[in-house]
Amino acid sequence: MDALTGALWGSTAAIGISMLLFLGANRLFDLVVDRWRLFVVVVGALGGAATFGILAGNRVLDGSRILWIVAGGAMVAAVGVAPALFSDRRLRLAVGVGSGALVGLVMTFVIDETVRPTISMAGLALVVGVACAVYLICASRFGRVLPGGVLVAATLGWTFGCWLLGDIGGGSWSSMAVAVIGPTSLLGAALGVGQVRTRPGRERLQHRTRVGAFLGPALLFVVLGLIVPLARTIYLSLYDARGRNWVGFKNYGEILTNDRSIDLADWANIFTSRLFVGGVGLLTVGAIVGLGHGRRRGRALEPVAGSVVPAVAGGLLLVFAVFSSLRGTVMNNLWWLIVVTLFSTGLGLAAAVLADRARFEALAKSLVFLPMAISFVGAGIIWRFMYIARPPQKPQTGALNAVWVGLGKLAPGTAGQAVGLVVLAVLTAGMAGLCLFGVRRRQNAIAIGAALSALPVLWLAYRLVGPGLGGVEEGPLGLPIGKPILFAQEGPFNNVWLMVVLIWIQTGFAMVILSAAIKAVPGDIIEAARVDGANDRQVFFRVTLPTIVPTIIVIVTTLIVLVMKVFDIVRVMTNGNFGTQVIANEMWQRTFTEFNLGLGSALAAVLFLGVVPAMALNVRRLQRGRV
Amino acid sequence: MAATPTDAVRRPAIGQTRPVDRTGRLVYGLLRAVPAWVLWLLVIVWSVPTGSLLLNSFRTRDAQRATGWWASFTEGGWTLDNYSDVLSSSNQTGGLFQALLNSFAIAIPATVIPVAIAAMAAYAFAWIPFKGREWLFILTVSLLALPNQVALLPLLQLFAGGAHWTVPGSGTVVTLFPDLSLAGTPTAVWLTHTAFAMPFAIFLLHNYISSLPGELFEAARIDGADHFTIFWRLVVPLSVPALAAFTIFQFLWTWNDYLVAITMIGANGANYPATIKIASMAGEFGMREHLLSAGAFVQAGVPMLVFFALQRYFVRGLLAGSVKT
Repeated sequence: MDALTGALWGSTAAIGISMLLFLGANRLFDLVVDRWRLFVVVVGALGGAATFGILAGNRVLDGSRILWIVAGGAMVAAVGVAPALFSDRRLRLAVGVGSGALVGLVMTFVIDETVRPTISMAGLALVVGVACAVYLICASRFGRVLPGGVLVAATLGWTFGCWLLGDIGGGSWSSMAVAVIGPTSLLGAALGVGQVRTRPGRERLQHRTRVGAFLGPALLFVVLGLIVPLARTIYLSLYDARGRNWVGFKNYGEILTNDRSIDLADWANIFTSRLFVGGVGLLTVGAIVGLGHGRRRGRALEPVAGSVVPAVAGGLLLVFAVFSSLRGTVMNNLWWLIVVTLFSTGLGLAAAVLADRARFEALAKSLVFLPMAISFVGAGIIWRFMYIARPPQKPQTGALNAVWVGLGKLAPGTAGQAVGLVVLAVLTAGMAGLCLFGVRRRQNAIAIGAALSALPVLWLAYRLVGPGLGGVEEGPLGLPIGKPILFAQEGPFNNVWLMVVLIWIQTGFAMVILSAAIKAVPGDIIEAARVDGANDRQVFFRVTLPTIVPTIIVIVTTLIVLVMKVFDIVRVMTNGNFGTQVIANEMWQRTFTEFNLGLGSALAAVLFLGVVPAMALNVRRLQRGRV
Repeated sequence: MAATPTDAVRRPAIGQTRPVDRTGRLVYGLLRAVPAWVLWLLVIVWSVPTGSLLLNSFRTRDAQRATGWWASFTEGGWTLDNYSDVLSSSNQTGGLFQALLNSFAIAIPATVIPVAIAAMAAYAFAWIPFKGREWLFILTVSLLALPNQVALLPLLQLFAGGAHWTVPGSGTVVTLFPDLSLAGTPTAVWLTHTAFAMPFAIFLLHNYISSLPGELFEAARIDGADHFTIFWRLVVPLSVPALAAFTIFQFLWTWNDYLVAITMIGANGANYPATIKIASMAGEFGMREHLLSAGAFVQAGVPMLVFFALQRYFVRGLLAGSVKT
């Protein structure tokens, strides 16, 4: 309870303070046009208080911090407003320089002597020159060169030239004076020159500050919370485990050469696996069907259902063949990327199409979409219950293994087997009939679909009669003993069982968006196609699908970005053991349990590199959308 | 599956002859029913995991260990003890109630603050013209795809020790950001969430706010309203649907987050949100295993309630984030 009330108080206070700051800033900027002097005083006081507060906080100033904040605020406010009291131009400049130098003189005495820098005049001149040159180039390219701007650039150059080039602590009283009075007088001069503000100038300034007030908080979070950390992660990735010594690209080299990340040792297995044979077979079927249709239409390859479906299935089998042989963290991530993206989008599209105009459409879609509301951790736990594997002697409590072992126990001669055979026989007969029907009516899609669907049915029948369907092995007494699948532990396909969890979650996402896209396809286009004699399949493939391709691309990009950083599911279900490691979990373990900051940061940078194409695509979409 | 042969025959096109013989009608009738069957099969398969978790959470420890959830229909063995145990304050079995409070302590500020900040920024990007607006907007929104992992370590270092810079050559340390000792607190978590949420929030709200009618703002400006008044009196009330969509989205996201919380809170068990609590329950085998399903369901209960109550807004948020650009 304490944590909750504490956090709620804290956040209420944070919101309240932020609101006050925002309102205050807006009120302050209201002053710009009509009450310029008051504005300068307030800004000067705030800026001076902040500067002196920071200096005091870093123990550069001796004495009470609060005292310094008040005194600094008052001093800088005075410097800011002093030139505005005089109307003569030269006098204003002189007052600006003079009051600035006065503040510098005070600071020379009060700043701790241990931080006095040494000064190299040549270096100082060089830095000031470079700063002014940079300002001149930028200002002449993007706007107008202003004398005040040159002076501010010189101020910055002088400050950096003294405090970064010099040996801090080794300087004397006089070098300190140069290092402090120089910038403050220059700044005073800038204020003195800048006082000449016409009314349009003030209005411009008010507009600009207002933009700052609206954008400031968001940009602060973006810069401090995203951009700077990103830069620091890349910086750390070039250093050693403790972040001390420069090691160049050694961390990246380790990721690329390590067996744990990329293990190509078993590449030859790709070509001997059954998956490969099946994949090539299906691709061949797809190619033959496509060629056959193509010849009739006078094209090389005709993408029809009978050619696309086997080709996609074959391609998937090849993916499985490749990634079950080439192992390692990076390979796992690629496997995740391909499988989860394909299946989530494909199943989502299927669900969207099937549910479109179906009865109880809303209910069906809600139930498929529900997993989106469940956390990845919760989903991992839910599927752990599905995947439970218990010792063979005990009853299986996980749904999948219960089915698997139950099927395996359909021993010859039992009623279960008889029922199973009858069911399979009916199915085979149905498929055969459908195939014949398709041939008679010249509906090739039906004929080929039925023939292909009959294959797994026949295979099931063979397993049921012969070696047994499902998980059994022969026990010591010749009796069948259940042999559950260790979904999480048995590699390399345990990876696929983990992917199922993410597919389960993300299918709903793809479905909802695709469903909206399908409903947004203009009805008159579809009507026109129908009037032209297109059937449902043609309307879908020639009208609906091409219209929603942009949406599919968006979904695929979103999913790629999401899958790239998959973490929670792997952590909860296997914690990367049994050959299921992925980059994000590896990164977390290296960084936060082993404290190998260099390697961990390099892994994070690899994740970043992985999404750069998606970012580029997003930028292009944004640019196109706004032009 | 979209390419099932059935699509071809669900509705014969104009000009195509309808099958007249009996077998033809029978086959077509069966095929026409296939999409519905496939759909409901998919729905059932999709619901079984959640449903089985729900059933298991009401079963006694012995029942859970002996049989699968499907047996509860015939054997019974129902109980509510799992829920009372897992919610109790005893550290042996439960503590989930405290974890739920911690989750609220993270998710509420992590939702409210980004909405407020991003709405202002979205208004500025949409309706205040200034130099560099285009590329600043694109830069911000392009960070949408940035993996959170790249920012975790630097942010943790910032919260745990501040940012310091050692001046080369002298050993003087300059503090760029003070050490606020935030590591292990909910504050660190929601601050991180706020930063991570910015690109998406600005993108989503900008989509909506930029589509508001410009004449409205013109009229207000002629009446002498400044940007602040326009934002507060016009933009916020008119953008309620988009604000609600993002609020729900962000609440679900932060409530369900595990990565940021485990990184920022680390070993400080008293501040664990519910996701970490149930993940650690899942990590240990034995005593509490039978409570896991109840725990997972309690953690998922809040987002499911939000989801069912406000599904329309949630979907709208998703759509605005991806279909329209």
